[in-house]
Amino acid sequence: MGARLALLIGACLAALPVAAADAPPVRLVVKPLLCVLDKNSTACTVTFDIRWKSTLAGEYCLNDEALPAPLRCWPRVTSGEHQHQRLVTQDFRFWLTPPAGAERVAEAKIEVLRVGSTDRRRERRSRHVWDVL
Amino acid sequence: MKIPTAWSLAAVVATAFACAPLARAQSSAAAAEATVQPATPVANAPHVLPEEKSWRFGVGLGYGERSNPLIQSEDIPVVVDLDIAWFGERWFFDNFDLGFELFDHRRFTTNIVARVNSDRAFFGKTNTRFVNFALTAGGASVPIPATPGASFGQPMELKVPKRDYAVELGLEMLLDGEWGQSTIRAFHDVSGTHEGFEVSADYSYRFTRGRFSVAPSVGVAYKSASLSDYYWGVHADETSPTLFGYPVDAGIGWEAGLKTSYYLTKNARLALSANYERLQDSVADSPIVERPYVLGYFAGLAWQF
Repeated sequence: MGARLALLIGACLAALPVAAADAPPVRLVVKPLLCVLDKNSTACTVTFDIRWKSTLAGEYCLNDEALPAPLRCWPRVTSGEHQHQRLVTQDFRFWLTPPAGAERVAEAKIEVLRVGSTDRRRERRSRHVWDVL
Repeated sequence: MKIPTAWSLAAVVATAFACAPLARAQSSAAAAEATVQPATPVANAPHVLPEEKSWRFGVGLGYGERSNPLIQSEDIPVVVDLDIAWFGERWFFDNFDLGFELFDHRRFTTNIVARVNSDRAFFGKTNTRFVNFALTAGGASVPIPATPGASFGQPMELKVPKRDYAVELGLEMLLDGEWGQSTIRAFHDVSGTHEGFEVSADYSYRFTRGRFSVAPSVGVAYKSASLSDYYWGVHADETSPTLFGYPVDAGIGWEAGLKTSYYLTKNARLALSANYERLQDSVADSPIVERPYVLGYFAGLAWQF
């Protein structure tokens, strides 16, 4: 039992460097990733903090799904940072592409959560004793 | 279902709470050679709200309890809370409430609903105990717990009487606006179990800021004498040396609650809720009632699919 456990832990530890080696060459980090809308709200006004980092220097452009042209392009660098304010009414994505290509090298999905419903039946409170949520 | 210990569940919940900021902190690694650009305002065209799914399925995992006001009873543990609902054009099923929408007005919605009375749930968690009797100075018999070696005579059984589930049919009016939301309900037994009725009203308001949401609520409920007496009274055929007869009158009880959520993703949230229900006075004085209130709480992770 102890030997099996040691083997399992060893296997997990051995897998860590492999997992790191498989990491994508470009990492895109966007904050926040969630917009929470109450029933009476129609949109969030959000200033997104967008950061990317690459293992190799390259030219990249940042795109917003709602816009036809890139938000910003960077020259040959290994990282970039951008702030972007917009109204959010539905799910959308930011992504990075090479300047002359459509291939998405990294992307981040921004989600909209609507708390509450326009259908009042979905908002009714249960009085069951086991209901706690 | 085996109920995990409170400590193990508390550890799970604590880990979940602790991991949330860590997960967010992971994404805060700054890019070294970056330049910050001025904000770029983008206005989206208004769009139609997405259609809501007919089915709603949710599950909450964590730890909570609902206290049991009955004597010789156990509190009701809440480890898993399921939320299952279906909403059709007018029919709906909402966690074992079956309803039909009668009117949908701009300011309110009226439904006819069949439900199972929830008072019965407490009677499923009771025990039988054996007690001896001691005579007080006034000559009255007072039950005392039987203990090994005690010499008060033959121990007698003391147990909470059995109660049945009741199916109730009634009307409910759901109101909402910028002022919050409210529900007015009136239900009558249609199963011949207690043959009574209940009229209730509640109000709640949800505050949402960022990923955080808080919804305090208050409510009152009037329960008829038939309903209250059936569940909480001691009837003539149930009296014994350990349990004296007690009729329960109609009365008004009240409750207050707080539900908070911290949304982690579109489908997952940390949930914390608490609820206090004060039983009406006549129920509170019943010999089968030990505590005049029901206190409930829950903390955990909830998913909505």
